[in-house]
Amino acid sequence: MIDQLIYLMPIVTVLIGAIALMFQSMYEKYSIRDFIFVSSLFLIIALGFAIYHFGDLFTTRPFNDIFNNVIIFDTFANFFNIALLSGALLIVLIGEYYAQEHSYFKGEFYAMLLFSLFGMMLLAHANELITAYIALEIASFSVYILVGFDTENSKRVEAIFKYLVLGSFIGAFFLLGTVLIYGATATTNITEIVQFINVSSSEDLLLVYIGIAMILFTFLFKIAAFPFQSWVLDVYRGAPILVTAYMASVFKIAIFSFFLRAILSDFITLSTFWETALIVLTFITLAIGSWLAITQNIVKRMLAGSSIVHTGYMMLGIIALGESIESAYSIMFYLIAYLLSALGAFGLVSHVIADTKVRITYDDFKGLGQERPYLAALMTIFMFSLAGIPSTIGFIAKFYVFTEAINAGYAYLAIFAIIATAISIYYYFRLIAMMYFYPSFADKNVSKSSDARISTFMIGFVALLVIWGGIGSAIVFFIPIPSIDGILSVVELSVQSLFLK
Amino acid sequence: MGAADILSFIIFLPAVVAFILMISTTKIEDVRNIAFITTIITLLLVMKIYLNFEPKAEMQFVTNISWISKYGINYYIGVDGFSLTILMLIAILIPTSYLLLWEGRTKGYWINMLLIQTGVTGTLLSLDIILFYFFWETMLLPIFLIIGIFGSGNKVFSTIKVTTYTMAGSLLMFVAILYLGVSFFNEYGHWSFQYNDLTTLTNLSANEKLFLFLAFLTAFMIKIPLFPFHTWITATYSDAPTGGVFLLSSIMAKLGVYAVVRFMIPIFPDTFVQFSDWFVFIGIFGMIYFGIAALMQNDIKKMFAYSSASHLSLIAAGIFSLNSYGINGALYLIIAHAIATGGLFLLIGLLHDQTGFKTIKDLGGIAKKAPIFTFMFAIMLFSNIGLPGTNGFVSELLIIFGIYEFNHTMGYISAVTVLVAASFMLWMFQRAILQERVGDALPMRDLRIKEIVGLAPWVILIFLMGIYPDPFIDKFEPTVTHYINNFLQTGVIK
Repeated sequence: MIDQLIYLMPIVTVLIGAIALMFQSMYEKYSIRDFIFVSSLFLIIALGFAIYHFGDLFTTRPFNDIFNNVIIFDTFANFFNIALLSGALLIVLIGEYYAQEHSYFKGEFYAMLLFSLFGMMLLAHANELITAYIALEIASFSVYILVGFDTENSKRVEAIFKYLVLGSFIGAFFLLGTVLIYGATATTNITEIVQFINVSSSEDLLLVYIGIAMILFTFLFKIAAFPFQSWVLDVYRGAPILVTAYMASVFKIAIFSFFLRAILSDFITLSTFWETALIVLTFITLAIGSWLAITQNIVKRMLAGSSIVHTGYMMLGIIALGESIESAYSIMFYLIAYLLSALGAFGLVSHVIADTKVRITYDDFKGLGQERPYLAALMTIFMFSLAGIPSTIGFIAKFYVFTEAINAGYAYLAIFAIIATAISIYYYFRLIAMMYFYPSFADKNVSKSSDARISTFMIGFVALLVIWGGIGSAIVFFIPIPSIDGILSVVELSVQSLFLK
Repeated sequence: MGAADILSFIIFLPAVVAFILMISTTKIEDVRNIAFITTIITLLLVMKIYLNFEPKAEMQFVTNISWISKYGINYYIGVDGFSLTILMLIAILIPTSYLLLWEGRTKGYWINMLLIQTGVTGTLLSLDIILFYFFWETMLLPIFLIIGIFGSGNKVFSTIKVTTYTMAGSLLMFVAILYLGVSFFNEYGHWSFQYNDLTTLTNLSANEKLFLFLAFLTAFMIKIPLFPFHTWITATYSDAPTGGVFLLSSIMAKLGVYAVVRFMIPIFPDTFVQFSDWFVFIGIFGMIYFGIAALMQNDIKKMFAYSSASHLSLIAAGIFSLNSYGINGALYLIIAHAIATGGLFLLIGLLHDQTGFKTIKDLGGIAKKAPIFTFMFAIMLFSNIGLPGTNGFVSELLIIFGIYEFNHTMGYISAVTVLVAASFMLWMFQRAILQERVGDALPMRDLRIKEIVGLAPWVILIFLMGIYPDPFIDKFEPTVTHYINNFLQTGVIK
């Protein structure tokens, strides 16, 4: 009983935390600090439960008579749990300053954040299509609300409606796909569907293939790949920047957790069926993402546009997955790398704009290098990491993805992705140029408040992780710290757990 | 600390000091003094390596530690005849350049200078090709900052241009590196990116080799720069601050040539031999082209940018000439040119700071006001032209021999075009420095003792290497012979 319960604890803790926060927010007397404290407390406890199993290789279905094979607890899901929980925790802590400076942040914000996190964690565990759909919708609906939180922003109505309508619409495709698959196989359990696919001839599988195509539409929409990328800029812009960061990094990880499981367990077979289409989509995603990122003048939108490019890199890994399973490691590593760099970058932007109410453009960053040298240095690190410059984790991640793509025989895709990287150097370095190469505005009200607070310390911590991930232990071999080999072996272990019987 | 760890220490000491300085609130004078002392310590360590180095062909002081074990990437550094010579060069040039940059710099300037030193030494010593790429890209970042923050003129445009230009080239090389690694994995079943492992590749087709070769070459041609990838140099050299130009021209450009020798010859010997005609031609063409372009310039910094490109083209022609004269000469010219051009750019920086002009027509009458400056300038200039008695002469002679042996006609052409360089240099010298200026005399002080002390070792080296080259050549000659016997011969046979 207890030993089964311990597997459930991370996800249950998040749920309890969400409900507790909801009750807490009924009382006026609690300030935003209290909510931050309570939500991070729950997240840390959940993280502690998740880390309890860190490094074990296991797959188990606790309380299976109740759940009936719909959720799986294995190292794979646990890996994603840790990533999701750390991401959410970082968002809460990095956003501490921003949330205190903006009156629209109420206790409900944190309740919704934890509800959506619950949905995402459930998605990582889901082994059945209906469960996956419910988990996805729990996460999505909470995020719809979060997107609309910014009452000071006139763009929020557009953002929330665009996302709500399009998201629900694409959700319907998922359901339709599920129905079609059920019609052909009489089951919605992924393991059983895989068995069905393995024993059937290709004529019987037509419905299944169409169903899978529908489900992949949802996937492409949620990760913002072409042709479902058009919502990204408006939604990311209208949302509070913390939510933007959350959607770009944490939500994406959750989506990948389910679909990687689906692909790796041979439910979605790419090499035969989807390869050509995905290759074309990857090309266009990279091109459009680069184009969108170049043309933006608002830093938040640039980061949003560039997140599409990063999606493109990860799709490169997905395509390579058809040839070798090793590519899954590279995608998972890339997710972690992008989580850290994007959270750092978004978080830092949120910190910089917290006390000024200006719409933040490239020009507003002029002179940051002189006014706040430490923040500018941290921002430089994150930009380097996003651009994939050596000595940051972004470089190692790109190295893995591109190596796997070339190893799978897609050298031309890798070359195209490299061109996108070369373009990305322009828009990331432009921000660095703004911070250092121009004098600051004379009339700009320089913040008097100290930068020594939780959010800056967390950003600094993330920057350290980014550097550590890029250098590892080899170059500083005289200091005994774990190397980046460690992340890879954890990732490898997680993928192995999928094939345990 | 074992002997092998000294190399790691040499690489990372400047960076560590730079990070400490970055977070501390030291006075600017102390920052500069600490940076200078750091470079002196590095120089002493390099001297220790130089004296303990045995004149043999193989790698020495090797450190090989696993870094990313899944992909067989190692922290693999070591030194052989080539890299030792350039290492010594860097270690001598940087501290003395500090003496000429001594006044009026900010903290960020010194920190960036230190970071660049780590970048260039790391690039020079890495033998794992991913590690090499790591440093190769990293050394660009401080250059990016130093030009953008401390440059003049249209600095932001120049900075973005040079960065995107070189990064695009490097990224192309990055794909080629990954492709090589994957090919190695497919042939041997395990990952490795060590350069000596990659030389054993046999499963590449001629076409693949050609593409990879071109990808590598593009990256290096941009960095060197060779025709037609030179378009970034004039803007960058004329807008960059003195320290940045000095490092770009006298050290980083040489690393491009070095990388051709270190990685391209061993990995693609047959492609290298097959296309050497073309590249000797491009080298000689570039030399003439840049020479004529330099003749036309009015801005001294731009003129030396072209002149430097012209010499680097000659170096490239020497490298591609496939014989021991050419390659030895090219290596020798790397050193000679680094000293001469570095010195000239620093002196021009001083001239520019004092007078406020860097165009030939505005300058004049310097010789009277600053005789020692003029003297030093003349020595550097003569070495650059290749006057007998200076190291420039020895190296240019060797390269011309090498090209002559490769192809008689090209040899004649290269011998004649060396004259072009002499003509524009001397003409500029006459107009900008010697000749009386129309109008008021310019404000110009002579060199200080500190600056003379800084330049003295360079002057000594110029003459010493010019009159008695044997001890210098002896250090790298075995490596060159080893290269020619092991790689270029097999390339010819294949």
